[in-house]
Formats: sequence, C-alpha cells, structure tokens
Amino acid sequence: MWKEFTKGLFRENPIFVIVLGLCPTLGVSSRVINALGMGAGVIFVLLCSNIFISLLKNFIPNQVRIPSYIVIIASFVTVVQMVMQAFLPDLYDSLGVFVPLIVVNCIILGRAEAFASKNGVGASILDALGMGIGFTLALTVISLVREVFGSGTITLFAFGDFDGVVRIPGIVDSPARVFVLAAGALLVMGYLKALVGIIQEKGGKG
Amino acid sequence: MNNPIVKIGGRLALICAVAALVLGVVNALTEPQIARIKAEKLKAALETVSGGRKTGEAVAVDNNPVVDRYYPVYGDDDQIVGYVCQLLGSGYGGTIVILGGYDLKGTVLAAKMMDNEETPGLGKEAEKASYMEKYVGTGGDKPVPVRKSMLTTEQSDSVTGASITFMGVGKALQEGSRFVVSLEGK
Repeated sequence: MWKEFTKGLFRENPIFVIVLGLCPTLGVSSRVINALGMGAGVIFVLLCSNIFISLLKNFIPNQVRIPSYIVIIASFVTVVQMVMQAFLPDLYDSLGVFVPLIVVNCIILGRAEAFASKNGVGASILDALGMGIGFTLALTVISLVREVFGSGTITLFAFGDFDGVVRIPGIVDSPARVFVLAAGALLVMGYLKALVGIIQEKGGKG
Repeated sequence: MNNPIVKIGGRLALICAVAALVLGVVNALTEPQIARIKAEKLKAALETVSGGRKTGEAVAVDNNPVVDRYYPVYGDDDQIVGYVCQLLGSGYGGTIVILGGYDLKGTVLAAKMMDNEETPGLGKEAEKASYMEKYVGTGGDKPVPVRKSMLTTEQSDSVTGASITFMGVGKALQEGSRFVVSLEGK
C-alpha cells in the first residue's frame, strides 16, 4: 500500500511524468510562494475529493459520475478559495485566477476517475497525498529555477522583520527576465522533464 | 424510485444539495472577514490614490459603463481639489477594478489596481505601484497611453506579455479623465 504514496513523488510524478495540470504549473510558477500556496490548495482538494469519491463510489451512478466528481471537486475548491480569501488574502491575490481553476486541474479529476472511484479510502488518501506532494515538489522546483534566474529572489512567507524575500547577490540586479515570462516557464519545464526522463531511464537500466 | 432517471437524477441532486449546504456554511463563516479585508484595502488604497488628502463619501455613477463611483478629494480649505474614480476596466481575466486619482483638469495623479483576475507574473504586475507610473501626469494635457506605441522602450518592455491588461487600465483611466473633466464642466 505504501507504493500508492511513493509513486506520485517521482515514478508517476503528475507534472514531470504523467504531464497533467500544466496550465497552473506554467501560470503560477514565477514565484516560490505561489508554488507553495497552489500546492497546499491542490493537496487539500485532492485529499478531500479522493476521500469523498472513494466513500461515495457505490452511491454515485456510473452515468453521472463525472458531473458528480466535478460538483465534489468544485465544492472543495470553493472552500479553499473562501478560506484563502479570508485568512491568506495576499496569497489569494497573488494566485489570482488559478485558485478557481483548480476545479479543472486534470490531476484531481484524473485521480478521482482513475483511482479513488475504484479503490478504498485508505489507498485513496495515500494516492492523494503522494500525487499532491509530488505536484507541489515539481511546482516548487520549477518556481525556484524561474524565480532565482528570472528575478534574483526567492519569495517565501513573511514573518517578523523578515519581508519574505531572499535576494540572491549577483543575480538580483541583472536577472534573465525570460525565465519569468511564459517562454521561460516552458523552457524550464521542458529541461526538468528531460532531466527526470534521463534519471528514470538510467534507474530503469540499472 | 423504480424509474432509473429519477434515481440517477435524485442522487446527483442530493450530492449537489449537500455541496450547497457545506458552501453556505463556509460562506457564512468567512464572509464577514472577507468584507472587513476589502474595506481595509479600499481605505488604504483611497488614502494612497488621494495623496493622503481627505476624501468625501462615494457617489454612485449610473450612466457610465466604466466609472462605477467617484469620491471628491478635499484640500486644506475644504474645497474640492480632485476626484478619485473607481473604474471598471476590461482585462485578460475579466473585469479589473482600478482606483484613479485625478486633479480637476482630469490629469492622473495616482492609480491603483484593485480586484482583478489577471495572470500572475504578467497582468498582475499592474498591481505594483511602479507599473502605474507610466499613466501619472497623463489625461490632462498629455493623452493617456492606451497603445504600446505611446510608451518609451523601457515602459513598453514592462508591459510585454500583458498588452490586454495595459490597454484595459489605460482605457479605464482615459474614461475616468474624461468623466472628471465633464464633472467640472457641469
């Protein structure tokens, strides 16, 4: 059962291997804090929707399973949206349109259809956590590369006297702006996916 | 309940009803906090855009699709010295709300983007104070920039990838400027 958790971290990573949820991945990965916020939102929605869809799999009629999944997923996304807007307004403003778009994040509907609707609650929880953490890790790595080279900073949560921004000497004054633009997102995503592919191929051969 | 359509539809309706109930409860819990945050943001933005001057009560505007409401700005002698307009622009992700501060000639003194659904890293850059500098000083004697060709090379670079947001903000501020001039002409 443990493999249901670990598969999403690397072997079946939703971004680098299954290649799902690319729209928010490319859209919000210009700052590390966005990646962490979006990752937390996706983990919450994925976990809740997997639990409820697994529990209701015998109740939901097959003919209306997709609309039912969408209603369940959209409800949890709206909960995330309202809670974030009330208690983390800066992060909510920063993530913009991508919070409501979690509804159509293919990872969530994909795991509901491919896994939670066919498996028990325990396995569905592990699958959601593995896939959610795998998504967050991948998103954070992409954001880190883009923000460090594109802005010369690493933006985290502010606390106390710390404004949340780590400035990288030598890059912050003359960053390569292409990394924070859409083209940079695609380039970084492509190179990292290739790197993961090489590691997996070597691991497979070994 | 033997009719399969009723059974299928009934179960879907039940799922929807439970979802609506949960959302209603969460909305009731979070709504006061969201309203408080919005009021605080508006107050802070009004202070910024009016240059710290005293602003009057909001006046709703019914006959203008861009100018939603305006606030008179008072000088030290309690005379009106300008206006702050709440403008509705058209951005890439939908409607963008902008607060524009004007003098009596319709010159933009300051502007701030409020509610919006623009793309992080691109259109959302308009939330930064530095983004709005390209509009400051326009609207009176100088035209408000609404096309990239009206910007300097450096300014033009700053809106690359987010032209729709730039034009949406520009056109809204331009309409706000016209509105302020028309107010003073009355």
